[in-house]
Amino acid sequence: MPIRYFIAILAFCSLSSAAIAQTSLKLPETVKVSPEALNTEPVCDPKIAASWREEQVIDGVKIQASNRCSPDNPYLIAAAVKGTNNISMGTLMETHLSADTIIKTDDIDGDGDPDRIIIKLEVMELNGPSPDFEGLIPTFDIAPGIQPGAWVFAPKTRGMSTENFESVRANALLRLPSPVIRVEQGDIVQLVLENTHYLPHTIHLHGVDHPYAHADGHVAGGDGVPQTSEMFLMPGEKRIYEFQARQTGTMLYHCHVQTHTHLAMGLVGMIIVEENRPNNWVQTLNVGAGQVRHPSVAIQEEFDQEYDLHYHAMDKEMTEIIQKYNDPRLIARDMNRLYDITDATEDYYMLNGLSFPFTLRESIVTVEPDQKIKLRVANTASETLAMHTHGHKATITHYDGIEQNPIAQIQRDVYALAAAQRLDLTLDTTNDGLNSYGEGLWLFHDHREKGITNNGMNPGGNVSVIAYKNYLNELGLPIGQGADISKYFSEEFHARTLPIWQDLDEVGTLGAAAGQSGLDPAASTDLYNLLAGLLLGIFIYLAIVKRQMITQVASQATSKLKGSKGSTNNE
Amino acid sequence: MNKTIGIILFVSIFAFSGQAYTEETAETIDHSGHNMDHDDHSGHNMDHDDHSGHNMDHSDHSGHDHSDHDDDHKLDEPMDHSMHHSEDDHSMHHHGDHHHHDDSHIMDHEGGMIMGQNFDELPSSCDSISEEIEITVHAGREYANKFPGTVFAFDQQEWRVKPCSKITWHFVNDDEVRHQFMMHGLPRYLYGNGMFHLESTGPRTISGTMIVPASDETYLVHCDIAQHMEKGMKGQLVVGDGGEDLTSIPGLTPYAFPDTYVAEDLPQVSVNDDEDTISEQVTEFLNDNSPITLLMFIGIILGLIIMPVISRITLLRKKEPEEST
Ligand SMILES: [Cu+2]
Ligand SMILES: [Cu+2]
Repeated sequence: MPIRYFIAILAFCSLSSAAIAQTSLKLPETVKVSPEALNTEPVCDPKIAASWREEQVIDGVKIQASNRCSPDNPYLIAAAVKGTNNISMGTLMETHLSADTIIKTDDIDGDGDPDRIIIKLEVMELNGPSPDFEGLIPTFDIAPGIQPGAWVFAPKTRGMSTENFESVRANALLRLPSPVIRVEQGDIVQLVLENTHYLPHTIHLHGVDHPYAHADGHVAGGDGVPQTSEMFLMPGEKRIYEFQARQTGTMLYHCHVQTHTHLAMGLVGMIIVEENRPNNWVQTLNVGAGQVRHPSVAIQEEFDQEYDLHYHAMDKEMTEIIQKYNDPRLIARDMNRLYDITDATEDYYMLNGLSFPFTLRESIVTVEPDQKIKLRVANTASETLAMHTHGHKATITHYDGIEQNPIAQIQRDVYALAAAQRLDLTLDTTNDGLNSYGEGLWLFHDHREKGITNNGMNPGGNVSVIAYKNYLNELGLPIGQGADISKYFSEEFHARTLPIWQDLDEVGTLGAAAGQSGLDPAASTDLYNLLAGLLLGIFIYLAIVKRQMITQVASQATSKLKGSKGSTNNE
Repeated sequence: MNKTIGIILFVSIFAFSGQAYTEETAETIDHSGHNMDHDDHSGHNMDHDDHSGHNMDHSDHSGHDHSDHDDDHKLDEPMDHSMHHSEDDHSMHHHGDHHHHDDSHIMDHEGGMIMGQNFDELPSSCDSISEEIEITVHAGREYANKFPGTVFAFDQQEWRVKPCSKITWHFVNDDEVRHQFMMHGLPRYLYGNGMFHLESTGPRTISGTMIVPASDETYLVHCDIAQHMEKGMKGQLVVGDGGEDLTSIPGLTPYAFPDTYVAEDLPQVSVNDDEDTISEQVTEFLNDNSPITLLMFIGIILGLIIMPVISRITLLRKKEPEEST
C-alpha cells in the first residue's frame, strides 16, 4: 500500500477528532411547545347556559346569583328545595333526577314547610372499566385528563349515566363528591339507599342524631356498621335509614363497609342539619357542594352567603384497582386483601370533588366587601388538613357541629381539621386588616404542600380562590394579574409533558432543552476510541498482509545484527 | 374441533331461545290488550304493580323491613296526586293521541320511563307488520347467579324475532333498585337517537311497544346504569338472521378485554383424622421425611443412563490402543 493512503487516513482521523471536540462544546437549544399542539379545553365550560348564573325564581324557589364558570343548575336547586314531587314536569326534565328522588310531604308542626323528607341515593362508579373497549365509563375528570376510579352516593337518577348516548362523560348528577344533604331539625327523614353498585355498601350517619334502634322496636337502617348494627346491603337491594335529628350542625354520612377503602373511594358526603324555622324549605341536596344558592332561613338571618367546602384525598393506586379488572371478585380481592393502606400515600387532593384548575370553575368563594359568609368545611381525607386563607382571618364558630362558646371563638388563617372533622367558619370581608386585607383574588388552600399538587405536581390539588366581585369577569373567571391559566386546562400539563415555565420570558430561559445536538462527553470518548481502534485495525491488517515483507525486513535486521555480532565475536 | 364446538353452542343457543320464545308467546294471552299503554290512567296501574311489589317484599323479607315499607308508602301516595295532572305527563299517556316519535317520551310519577315507543309507524323497509309478539324480560341480580364474575343480568341474553315484527316488551325489574332495558342502533327517523328505552325505578313492570326493521340485524340491549352492562346486564336482539354478535354477553359471546385469572393458594379443608389410614400415614411420612427429592430422583435416572454410555466409551478407548499395538 502506498504510503500516501496511510497519511490520508491519519489526516481524516485527526480532523474528525477535532470536529468531535468542537460539537461537544455547544449545549442543546430550547424547544417551545406550541399551544396548538395541546389538548386544551376552554377555561370555562361552554356548555353551561349563562342564564344559570343569574338570580332567579323557579317553581317559586328563590335562587341566589352564582357568578362562576360552572354554577349549579338552578332547576336542580328548585327540585332540591321543593322536592321532585312538588315541581313541574318541565323543571324535572331539566335535571337528571328521577321523579321519586326527593319526596317532601306533611307539614306536621304546621309551620309552613314539609316535615317528612325522603331522599333516595344510588351508588355509582365513576371512571370504571369496560370489557368492551379500553377506555373508562362514565368518565369524570377531577382535572383535565385525570380520571381516578371512584364511587359516589348519587341522587337517584333517570336515564343514561352519560351526558348523552354519544358521550362517555358522566351526566351532571354523577360526580364527586357525594352530594351535600340538608335537612331541618326535627324533620322525619328517610334516607333510602338503593345499591346500584356491584359491591355491598351501607350508610353511617356520622355525627347526625340517629337511633341505633327505633323506640317502637322497628329497625330502620342502623348505624351502618356491618360488624355490629346491620347486614351488608347487597347489590340490587335497598335500605331505609330513618332519623329525626334533634341537634343541628355540619355532619357527615359515609359507607361503613370496608371504610378504609370505601370512604376513600368517595362514598362520603356532608349532611347538614339546619335550625328549625317557619317556612324553612331547605335545599335538600347540594350536588357538587360549594355555594348554597337557597340557604335556610336561619342562615339568611345571619349571613349573606353560605358555602359547603368538602376536602377529600385519594390514593392513585387504590383508585386504579377498579380500573384494572372487570370481574368484581378480582376487585374485591385487591380492595379487601391485597391493598395495604398503611403503605399507601394520597395523591389526589380535591375540594368539592375537583382539583386545580377545575376548582376555579365552581369552587371559588365569590364575595363582596362587608359581607358575612358561612363556610362549612369538612375534611374526609385520611390526614389532617391545614386549610389556609390568604388575605383573611376567619372565625371558627363550630367544631363537629357544636357551637364553640362565643367568648372562646378564635380567629385563624390556618384551620386544622383532623380526619372526618368539620369546622364552621365565619368569613368576614370587612377591610380592617384583620378580617380582610381588602379586595382581590385571595387563594385558599391546604398548607401541607402536597395538598396543592395533582399526584405530586404543582399547581394542582385543592387550591381555590376567595374572589372579590370586582376581580371576576362576566363568566365568573378570576381576572388575574398573574400568569395565563389556560395552559393548566390542557391534558398535556397534567400528563407532565408541558414545560410550564417556557413562557416566563421571550427566549424561554426555563423552557425544555432539546436533545443533544452535538455529542455528549461519553459519546465523544466513544468516538475517539472508535477512531483509535480503526487505526489499530489498519495497522494489524497491514501487518498481516505485509507479513512476508515484515519478516523479511525483520530477518534482514536480525541477520544484520547477528552478522555484526558474529563478526565482533570472530574478531 | 373449535368449529364443532361452535356449531353445538350455536344450536343449543338457538334451541334455548326457541324454547323461551314459545314461553313468551304463551304469556301473550295473559297480557292481552296491554292495559298499561291503552289506559288513560296507566300511571295508576303502574302504581298497583308497585304495591304488589311491596307486598311481595313484605312476605320475602323478615319483619325488620316491614314498617319501613309502610312509611315509604304513605309518603309516596301524595306525590302521585300532585304529579298526575302535570300536562306533559298526562297527555303522553293517552294512547288515543298516537305516539309520535318526537314525543314518545313517557315518564310516570315514580320515574318509570318509556322512550322511543312506536305502535304503528312502519320502518321504510317493511311493507307490513310480520307478526305481533310480546316478550317479557326480567332484570335483576338473581339472573347473574349462573354467570360467575357478573352481578346483574337479564333472565335471557338473546331474543330472536322476525323482521318487521311489532314487539311489546314487558320489562320486569326484580330488584329494589333501578334497571333499564335500552336498545340501540334502531333507525333514527323512527326512534330518537336510534334508541328504544324502558326504565323501571324499582320492583315493577314497565311495558313498551316498538317495530323492528326488515333487515337482518343484531341490536344491543343493555342497562346503562354505571357498571350494570359491564357487570353482566347485557343482551342482544337478533332480527331475522341477525348481524354480527356483540361482545361480552354473559354465557353467549367472549369478552373483548377479558381479565386474567391466577388461582389463589386458598386454605383448604385438611384431611379428616378418622380417615388417617396407615397408607396415608406412610405417604405423609414419606412426604415429610423422604430422603428422596425430585431432583435426586432425576439425578438417579441420569446416572443410570449416562453410566453405560461412559463405560462403553472407555471400553472402546481401551480396545483401540490394544488393536493398534
Ligand atoms: Cu361501601
Ligand atoms: Cu341495571
